Formats: sequence, structure tokens, C-alpha cells
Amino acid sequence: MSDTATKDQKTTPAVEMVSLTIDGRPISVKKGATVLDACRQENIPVPTFCWHPKLRSVGACRMCYVEIEKFPKLMVSCATEAMNDMVVLTDSEKCREGRKAIIEFILLDHPLDCPTCDKGGECDLQDNAFEYGLSDDTRFAFRKARKIRDKNSTFDDLQIGPEMVRNQNRCILCYKCVRANEEAFGEYDIGAYQRGHNTEIDAAPGGQVASLYSGNLVEICPVGALTSSDWRYKIRVWNTQTVPSIDPYHADGANLTLWKDATKVHRATSRMNDDTDDGWISDIARYGYQIATSERRIKAPLVNKNGAMVEVSWEEALGVISRRFKEVKESQGAPCLAGVVSPNLDLKTLHAFNKLFRGALGSNNVDYRSDYSNLPTDADSTYGFMASRSFSIDAVASSDVIFVVGSNLIREHPNVHLKTRRAIFEKLSWLYTANPIVTKSADCSTDEMIYNLGTDEVFLNGVTLSLIQQGLADKEVDTGKIETLLIPNTLEKCAETCGVSVERINECAKRLANSKSPTLIAGELVSNSIARENIAKSFYNVALLLGIVQGKRGQAAVLAKAANSKGAEALGLFPEISATQTATLKNQFQSFPELAGANWDAMLSGAQGEDIKAMLIFGANPVQTGADYNHIKKSLESLDFLVVADLKETPTTALADVVLPLSSFAEYDGSFTNLEGRTQDFCAGMKRIGASLPGYEALNRIAQSLGFSLYADLSSLQDEVSELLDSYNAPERKHFLMESHFQAPPAPQENSLPLFAGDALHHFGHWTEMCHSLLEFNPEAALEISADLASRLDIQTGDSVRVLCDRGDKGNKGEKLILKALVSDILEGDTLLASHNFAAKPVNCFTSRDSRVSYVRIEKIEKQ
Amino acid sequence: MNKLKTISRTDDYVVLSRESRPVPDPGVWGMLRTTVVAIPIGFITVFKHLFRKSVTIEYPFKKRPMFPRYRGLHYLERYEDGTERCVCCGLCAAACPADAIYMEPMENENGERLAKVYEINMIRCIFCGFCEEACPEEAIFLGQEYEFATDSRDGFIYNKEKLLVTHPRPENTLKKMWRKVRRFF
Repeated sequence: MSDTATKDQKTTPAVEMVSLTIDGRPISVKKGATVLDACRQENIPVPTFCWHPKLRSVGACRMCYVEIEKFPKLMVSCATEAMNDMVVLTDSEKCREGRKAIIEFILLDHPLDCPTCDKGGECDLQDNAFEYGLSDDTRFAFRKARKIRDKNSTFDDLQIGPEMVRNQNRCILCYKCVRANEEAFGEYDIGAYQRGHNTEIDAAPGGQVASLYSGNLVEICPVGALTSSDWRYKIRVWNTQTVPSIDPYHADGANLTLWKDATKVHRATSRMNDDTDDGWISDIARYGYQIATSERRIKAPLVNKNGAMVEVSWEEALGVISRRFKEVKESQGAPCLAGVVSPNLDLKTLHAFNKLFRGALGSNNVDYRSDYSNLPTDADSTYGFMASRSFSIDAVASSDVIFVVGSNLIREHPNVHLKTRRAIFEKLSWLYTANPIVTKSADCSTDEMIYNLGTDEVFLNGVTLSLIQQGLADKEVDTGKIETLLIPNTLEKCAETCGVSVERINECAKRLANSKSPTLIAGELVSNSIARENIAKSFYNVALLLGIVQGKRGQAAVLAKAANSKGAEALGLFPEISATQTATLKNQFQSFPELAGANWDAMLSGAQGEDIKAMLIFGANPVQTGADYNHIKKSLESLDFLVVADLKETPTTALADVVLPLSSFAEYDGSFTNLEGRTQDFCAGMKRIGASLPGYEALNRIAQSLGFSLYADLSSLQDEVSELLDSYNAPERKHFLMESHFQAPPAPQENSLPLFAGDALHHFGHWTEMCHSLLEFNPEAALEISADLASRLDIQTGDSVRVLCDRGDKGNKGEKLILKALVSDILEGDTLLASHNFAAKPVNCFTSRDSRVSYVRIEKIEKQ
Repeated sequence: MNKLKTISRTDDYVVLSRESRPVPDPGVWGMLRTTVVAIPIGFITVFKHLFRKSVTIEYPFKKRPMFPRYRGLHYLERYEDGTERCVCCGLCAAACPADAIYMEPMENENGERLAKVYEINMIRCIFCGFCEEACPEEAIFLGQEYEFATDSRDGFIYNKEKLLVTHPRPENTLKKMWRKVRRFF
């Protein structure tokens, strides 16, 4: 990747520069930059309201007046392009007069209700009025048009979104929220209505501002016109301190700032980092801090005493754990112990977990992929190879063709989604999405290709064949035996099987082949599929024919899902690690188990058999989010001893003999490795809740009760982690076309509908259920259904729908759940989406571990 | 000249003493001034004050009127319709040099901002009046009350209920004038 980057720099011509003088300082900027950009480059203060670094300039507020020689009037610097030999004055008398007048005009119609305003203390208007406003009385002697406490001339506060309150009196009509929503997020749920003095910022008629990025609109509002219900009237900014943090859910690694006081964290805002997030964060990251302050947290260890969970001290819980673990280890041997850890925990915890199992207990049975099934068993799987390719989020924004396959991008990677939008908006890039379902990306993609369910690899094989047929493939790749490698082996057959026409596949292939820096993204629908390896091989073939995996151009990767999946991969938290990784771990742990370990699939079947007797589940909740509820539940129930550590009570903790309380990301210092492999640190924002402990500390106590020690002090643990991360190299291989054979899935029964269980738009995993703000967006498990299907079945949003499992011969037959219908304006066709984020509705009872697509039947429940 | 002279020395410390000054001889006129002249002058002063109005008052039974700008116990003002003026903006707490004010805001049923908790710790308070000066809503004032000694520390923490009680306030013309001036702008 780094090679291609340097090559790009060499080939691109030198950027044309423009030199101008600002306040007597000679400055040179890129051609096309504005005067304001030039000022900011030199840290010359220019006040703004409507300008935002990531949005286009409109010049609506006119606060950024500067004086430019030979221009008769003051110019708005944000909308004036810098030109050669310009002489700019930013602090002249004329400038100050102009800005003073602007502030005066804004304040004519702005209520002076700063005491009640939530923005007070961090308000651009307050700051600018103080710095640039009038020092004496206004020239306009009449009373304000909008008087405080006068209901006739003012607007009332209006809740325009689940977490957004609008106060139109304070709005200065900079249109920043409307512009950001359209330009950066591609949402159209907020707009300006009426005209002139009566202009109102409001939600689109009949709707709410409820997009995944709605919190950003509140954050960028320069005044208190948009405020968040969560932060409303809570605390003043000057009574808080900030600590840097990282999004603990998504693998994008968006940067956060936590605002805390002496007792707890009060809100999270973005912290601009162009490499990962551009200053925009999803609402899940924004309101996700509430897991730290939730009432539903476990506050003390729980031990199962005669069927009832009793709160006990750490010592007692550790006593039980050490006794039972020792019993199992002595009677059955160390390989009977297994550990599952959540990839949403920090690096130190993951490493301590690895050290406990491999170094101390002597068992190779560790895994972090409890959400998946049919995991790869050999170290050099193509899936593992494609998942470990280097990927740069920022490079997405500068690539000219983006190809997304099998990914509901907005739900899996909100920031990558925004980067693709930025690429389209700024660079007019081509976006090709190929999915079995329609996703949000469809509205900006050049071509949204919907292939038939379960034919992911056929579509990709179609692209491979198309590249070869059109003679666009990389010349160094041997494509001689392609007919024998792929099934189906002609483009026409592929197109027929996957349901995307030959022309569209050809068009997409041509565009990819002609691109300078393509980005190929594969997502959860690939990772979650049981044909993962096959799809990964097809994906690899496409990337190989485009010269991407050889490092000639662009980037291609199967993206990791959780905040620290990449970290878990680098630390070797899965049984089938490579030989070099094993050697590094052996070196660190002194003792290392010889026996090959069991992965998550093997652990489950082993638990039902005699192989696994005791398990430690750390932060994960497979009963709720893994595939096949009944199978996992049965397996965990047949264990002799189960310890679960989590933040809250989950269906998994309900099966446990001992439950340990974990601290959330806001309560300790740690680090996450995002999907690019970028390790970012986060800091503690508050004291730990109850007796909860950070993962590494809890693990160390467990180890001490068993007679081991995981670390002497935290810095030594941190050093070990850094050593492992530094020594980690993504697997390399010889490049040749892989074979990918498609087996048609069995045809579904009549009237049955395909269902995907996954994250709701405003939820991630099982923890976000604790966040009251996110529950305002998605309060309960919903069955997302396309408008077309809904009208056919006469279902409206909010109706109760009975969902029945429809698998003929398997044990799940007869499983049923009642879910609330949510008619989606994005989905098309018959596919259903169900959210697995709610413990009360285990929608994974419909999914299975051995079929690619789950089918259900639904019936509407008539209201009594 | 005062000369310092070492009068004793131990191992640990040195004790210093001043050499005493010789008392000057008063002389004849001096003797007369302190006896024959001074005594009648003293009596004259005493008898003059006997017939004057007394300076002291019988405090618990009679009270001295305070100056209009005296800074006594705080009180929170209300609007004419009885609603509280305080919106819990936090500026008084920010201005307070003694960190005596603690507050937590809330939202009432009309969506207006209001103090849920408003406490002044009168032990910490130094009665500087900065809170009154900082208040943008003219909600807090330092009144005339000065009798609020209690026998417990808790008794000195004045919450909203205690602060909203109307203490006897003499007409405060200066403050009223100031309020009018502020309102005009």
C-alpha cells in the first residue's frame, strides 16, 4: 500500500501554487483554495459561522469579511478564491466595522437568552460578539422583534428528532445543518422552510431527523438553535473537562472527546481526525458512552447458588472460579478449558486473555469470533488473507472507483460510508455496490447490483470472467485454466445465476480495470456467510486480476467489524494462528500448549460432546448475537462450568455459574486497533461503576487465584502488546487464481421470505441496548420490511408481526417471535432485516450454522 | 537607640532582650498636667456623654437599620406571577470566588430551564456580592438579613426553598434604580 502511495505522488504533477500577502505575510497556497483557507493555514484568526472545513462554502453569514486591495467592498473570505498577488487585510478598521455590523444585525433578531441556552459557554456567536461585536449601544433603538417570555412573537422549542430539540429563535440561518446533512451524509431529513424572516429549520414534513448522523448537526450548530436532548440542561461546559476517547463499537476507530465532571461522563463529541472520521461520528459512537452510566450495569460479581444469582465479593467469586477451573483441569486436562472474548474489548484485555489461556492454563482454545459460524480451520485461508490486507480509510475518499460487495456499509462502517460519499461528492468517483439487499449506499452509487441471495461468489466470478474476456486483467496473472477453476465458468451462466445482467457486470469490470486507485470492500455479508472461504477466493481473484493484491494500485480488503477485531487478529486470539505468530507468542509466554486449539465452532460441538468442560466468555454474548440461538444455548448449558464477564445481564450471563462485572471503555485507559491496523489510545473519563474491573485486571485476578500472574505492572503488559503488534505481519502468499465452486443453495419453500439478523441502524452488538438515547431511535427489536412487501401483506410500521422459522428438517422449526414491523424506505424486494441487539427478542433463533440463507414466514397479528 | 543585647545563651536558642530606656523626669509641669488638669477634663467628658443620646442599642430587642447596600443573606427573587427568576445558568457559581454555590438544572413541564438543586454554603460564602453582579436574570440578591447563625454545619447550607423565602427587606432604592437601568438596556 505504501508503495502505491509513493508511486502516485511521483506520477502526479506538482500542485500549482498561488502566492498572496495576508496582513503583510507572504503566503502560498494550492490553487483553488480560498482566502479563508490561506488564513487558517497561517493561523490568522478569521471569525466564521456558516463555514465548516468539510463542507462547501456558501457565504451565508458574511462574518468572515476581509479587506482585499483593489476590491471596492469587503469580501467574504470563505467564498473568495485566493489569487496571485492579492493583498489581504484581516484586521483593518474597515474589516472590524464590517464584522461589527454583521454581529449587530444578527443580534437584532437573536434572543439574549444565553442563561437558558445550552450552547452558552461554547457558542460561536457569544465568542464572536465578545471579540468583534459592538462595544457601545446598537444603532437600532427599537425593541427586539422576539422578546423572551413572549409567546406570541417567539417559536416554542420543538423536538424535531429523537435526540434533537430545535429553538428557531436562536437560529442565525447559516444552513450548516442542512448542508452537512445533504453534502456529507446524503440525508434529506432536515431542511429550511418558509421564507425571509420566517425561515424555519425543520424536519422534512411528516418525518423526524433520525438519521445515523443526526448528532453531528447539533454539534456543528454555531448557536443554540439545535440542541441535543441528551445534553439538554445537564451541565455547563465550563464545569466539565475533556478526555480523548475512541469509538468502542465500530472498526472505523472514529475519534471521540468525552466531556466529564468529577462524577461521570456527560456527553461525547467528535474529535476531528482526517485519517479516520473527518470530524463526523455516528450516533452510536456519540451516545454509546451511556453504557458507562447506565442503570442496567452489573455492579458486583454474581454467583449461581441453587439456581439464584447472588451478589458476592470478588474474593468469593474468584474462589469459586479457581476451584472449578482447577477441578476441570486436573480431572479432564487443560484442553477442556475454552475461552471466548469479545473484539470490542481493549488490546490489553485481549492480550491478558490470550496469556491466561495459552500461557497460564495451557489451552489453545481461544477465539474472538463468536458472532460467526463455520470458521476457517487452517492458518492460510484466503478469507484470513483478504481480511488482513492493509486498508486506509482516508484513501477511500481519494479513490476513483469504489466497489462494495456484500456490505451494508452504513451499518457496519459509518465512517467508511461517509468517505465513499465524500469521494463521490468531491472527486466524482464511481461507486459500484453489489449486495443481496438494497442498502443506503444505493442512493449515490453508479450502479446498485442486487444479486440473488446466496450467489455472492457467482457475481464476483462474473466480474472475474468479464475482466478476462474483455482483456482487462493484469497481464502477469496466468488466466489459462480459468474454465476449470470457476463454477459456473462462463459469464452468461454467472449472470443468469446471480441475476445481474452481463452488460452491468461488464460495465463495472471495465470501470474497475480502468481506474487508477480502486477500492474494493467486502463486508459482513461475506464474513457472516458460511461460504465465506469461497466468496473470499472469488473476491481475491477480482483483486488479483486488477493487480491490487500484488500492490500495483488501490486497495482491497474484507473489513473487520468490531472496534478491536484487527487487534485480536494481530494478537493471535484464535486457534489457527500462523507459525510465525505462534513463535512470537511462545517467546512471550514461556510455556505454550502443543495441542492444536478448537475454534468457536469446535468449542460448541465439543461442549455438547465431552471435549470442552469449562468456558470463560469475556464480554461476548454469543447466545444473543451468534448464529443459531438454540444450538449455542444447548452447548453452553451442557458445560460443567461457565464464567461470563459482561457489562450487563445478557442471555449468556443467564446460563453462567459465575458472572463478573466489567468496566466500560469510559472507565479505564486502553487502546483499540481499527480496521486499518491503526492503534489508538483512549482515556478513562470516570470512576469504575460498583465493583466492576477493566478486563485485564479481572483476568489478572483470575490468574492470581489460580496461582499465576499475568503482569507485574500495566506498563509491562502494554510493552508486550506493543511488541506483538510491531512483530505482526499480514500473511503473504504466492499469487495465482483460486478455484471457487458454487453450490446452489436448496430452493426455499413457497411463501417463505429470506431474513438477515444483524444490527439495527442505531445499535451495535448487545451493549447499546443500555443507551437510552439510542433507544429513542430504535426502542425495540424491529423487523425491517420493504414498502412493496408491506403493502402486499397490508403491514404498517408499528404493527406486530409473528415471525415463524421455516426450516423443514432442522431443530429450529416452529421457532416464533413477535416483532414490530418497520417499513423501510430503502429496502426492496422480499428480504427482511431483523435486529439482534435486544436480549428480549433473540432473532438469531431463525438463523442456522449450516445454511447460507435463513427463511421465515411472517403473518400480521390483527389488533384486537 | 534600641540596642539588642544577648542576655542568655543555651545550646538551642539565643534569648535577646532590649535595653530598657531611661524614664525621663516629668518635671513640675508634668506632674501638674497629669493630676490637676487631667482629672477635671476627664470629668467634663464623662458628664457631657451622660446627657447625650446613647450609641449602643439593646440589640436583640432593638435592631439597627442596615445601609441600603449592605450585603447580608442571599435571597432568590420571583417574577410577579410567582415563578422563579433563576434559570440555573450557572454564572453565579462561576463568578463565586469561594466556590460556595452548587446547582443542578432541570426542565419544567413547559420546557423551561429551572434549578433542580440550588445550594449556597454560607460557611464558605464571603458575602462579596459577585453572584448578584453576575446574575443575568436579576434573580439573586444579597439582602439585609444577618441573623442566621445555627449550631450545625448543615444549617448553613441554604437550598432553594430556604433562599426563595421572602425575608423582610426594606425598600432598596438604589437596587431598584439599578434594576431599572439594567432593564432599559
